[in-house]
Amino acid sequence: MNVRTSGGPAGEAGPLSRFDAAYSRIENVFAFIAAIAIFFVMGVGIAEVVLRTVFNFSIFGYLDLIELTMAVFAFLSAAYCQRFGTHIRMDLVVSLLKGRVQHVVECIAIVAALVAVAILIKATTDHFLRSYNSGDSTIDATLLVWPSKLMVPIGLSLLWLRLLLNFVGFVRLIAYPDAERVAVPPPPGGGHGGHDEEHA
Amino acid sequence: MEPLTIGVVGSIALIVLVVLGVRVAFAAALVGILGLVYMRGWPAGIGISGLIPHAETTHYTLSVLPMFILIGYLAFYAGITRGLFDAARKWLARVPGGLAVATIFATAGFAAVSGASTATAAVFARIAIPDMLRFGYDKRLAAACVAAGGTLASLIPPSAILVIYGVIVEESVGRLLVAGFIPGIISAIVYAAAIIIRVKINPEMAPPVTERFTLREKLVASQGFWPILFVVGFVMGGIYLGWMTPTESGACAAGVVLLMAIARRQMGWGDFGKALMETARLTVMIFTIIFALLIFVRFLGFAGIQEAFKGWIVELPLPRFVILLIILAIYFVLGMFMDAIGMLMLTLPVIFPAIVALGYDPIWFGIIVVKLVEICLLTPPVGLNCYVVNGVRPDIPLDQIFRGVWPFVLADLAVIGLFIAIPEIVTFLPNAMLGN
Repeated sequence: MNVRTSGGPAGEAGPLSRFDAAYSRIENVFAFIAAIAIFFVMGVGIAEVVLRTVFNFSIFGYLDLIELTMAVFAFLSAAYCQRFGTHIRMDLVVSLLKGRVQHVVECIAIVAALVAVAILIKATTDHFLRSYNSGDSTIDATLLVWPSKLMVPIGLSLLWLRLLLNFVGFVRLIAYPDAERVAVPPPPGGGHGGHDEEHA
Repeated sequence: MEPLTIGVVGSIALIVLVVLGVRVAFAAALVGILGLVYMRGWPAGIGISGLIPHAETTHYTLSVLPMFILIGYLAFYAGITRGLFDAARKWLARVPGGLAVATIFATAGFAAVSGASTATAAVFARIAIPDMLRFGYDKRLAAACVAAGGTLASLIPPSAILVIYGVIVEESVGRLLVAGFIPGIISAIVYAAAIIIRVKINPEMAPPVTERFTLREKLVASQGFWPILFVVGFVMGGIYLGWMTPTESGACAAGVVLLMAIARRQMGWGDFGKALMETARLTVMIFTIIFALLIFVRFLGFAGIQEAFKGWIVELPLPRFVILLIILAIYFVLGMFMDAIGMLMLTLPVIFPAIVALGYDPIWFGIIVVKLVEICLLTPPVGLNCYVVNGVRPDIPLDQIFRGVWPFVLADLAVIGLFIAIPEIVTFLPNAMLGN
């Protein structure tokens, strides 16, 4: 999704557009960290196979390392994914609606997501704090678990902020239905997650 | 309120939210959390909900998903698809509907490095459709064979959706991946047969290609198959020989594709970055829906929905075969309105225990149900692969693509009928390779 700018008198999107662009850069950084984590898992996987096959030697704590790393790519790019509208949904009904009615329904859907993610942030933060205070570690390599658990509330908080931006974007569209779409996911039918979208 | 009633109300609430366009992951998480809090109280409900996201997404088995997704994106950016289509085209040009048949086998080949149907359809819409149109092929046939060929990615390993199925129903991912191989190949052959029959009946749909290729040209073009054979070798061989986990075989296959791209100087840093970022985006989508659905499933468990449904299904005064057909028909209809991953994740927690209680093989059912939901990528109104092809080629109207895919849908239904009649087609390879 491109970050679009708008300058029309109805529904002036200047500040929102700028904020969206700035926040997109933050999301990109976290998504990049997630991407690096995937590459890391690939590298460690290859190294493990080569070492095991050629030298009959296994990386100490290999499974623990992979499992703890997984939290990085399971959560940190959730906001980035929401920006592109890649999270799965059924948009058949929404796509039948037009103009303001469509924006109202989209806005309600975002509010439901905001509530769900807000409760999850609270719940996963508690879970992280319990792990941090008890200092629990993995069984094999005795690696500390809390840094991995911290990824969950971080990723979800980033997602919540993106959803909040979506909410503001839709409220603006409800007020000015014909204004340019800013800070909202692609319209229904536009987010297939293929190779088609450009990269912001 | 009775727990079962709460479960039913929660399920209806989830359906309403999903229909309203709330993203499946957020709808499932919201209903699941509220249900758990209502049934177990705030501290316990929140405690369970807070534990699931990390605990359920950091299983080693799931780490295979980003590897499989990465292979597909790397292969795409490395330009492997072009070589593949070129080779298939040269070998099959003289068959009736040769270019369309070549497209089917090239997509089957790409399916061996790609785990996602829509990505495969998007790639070949760019590569194969222009060639077919240049030789005077019917637009409907050209677009439809790309959309249908894309669905092969979900059966031929590596397949993301089979991994997801394995994780939800707690079956061996390796066994599922191996089981998808023969059904994938059979599907490709039946698609090709459907094209040939169609062109024989109506030769105007695909004028014969007059170009002739020498054996040498064909063999040179066949170099395009090598990367695919490497990846198939790593994924299938690694799992078969037992010296690699699915994640490790995926990692090695991705490494091989990356090395080939570097050796051929076909991928710059920019493309490599894009492949990684797109992998991260698709991966997080799948992981989000997994943990959210598992919160909802925990709620369903407390409400006793699965047990109640299983008991009801088993007690039905119908032969188990009829019950199976009814379940498959429900999937077929549901799939017309929902994405494959979303539909599987929403239904399997309830349907799967009932299927096992009826005595059906879990691996066999996985292949059948994945094949079925893939058909739904072709059927209106939300046949995603048709939308993807239309997105790449807006000059071919959507209704024409939908009209063009019906022969492939019929071919798919025939293939499913075959797998139901002779389940050994599906179970033979995993049993032979990995034991009973």
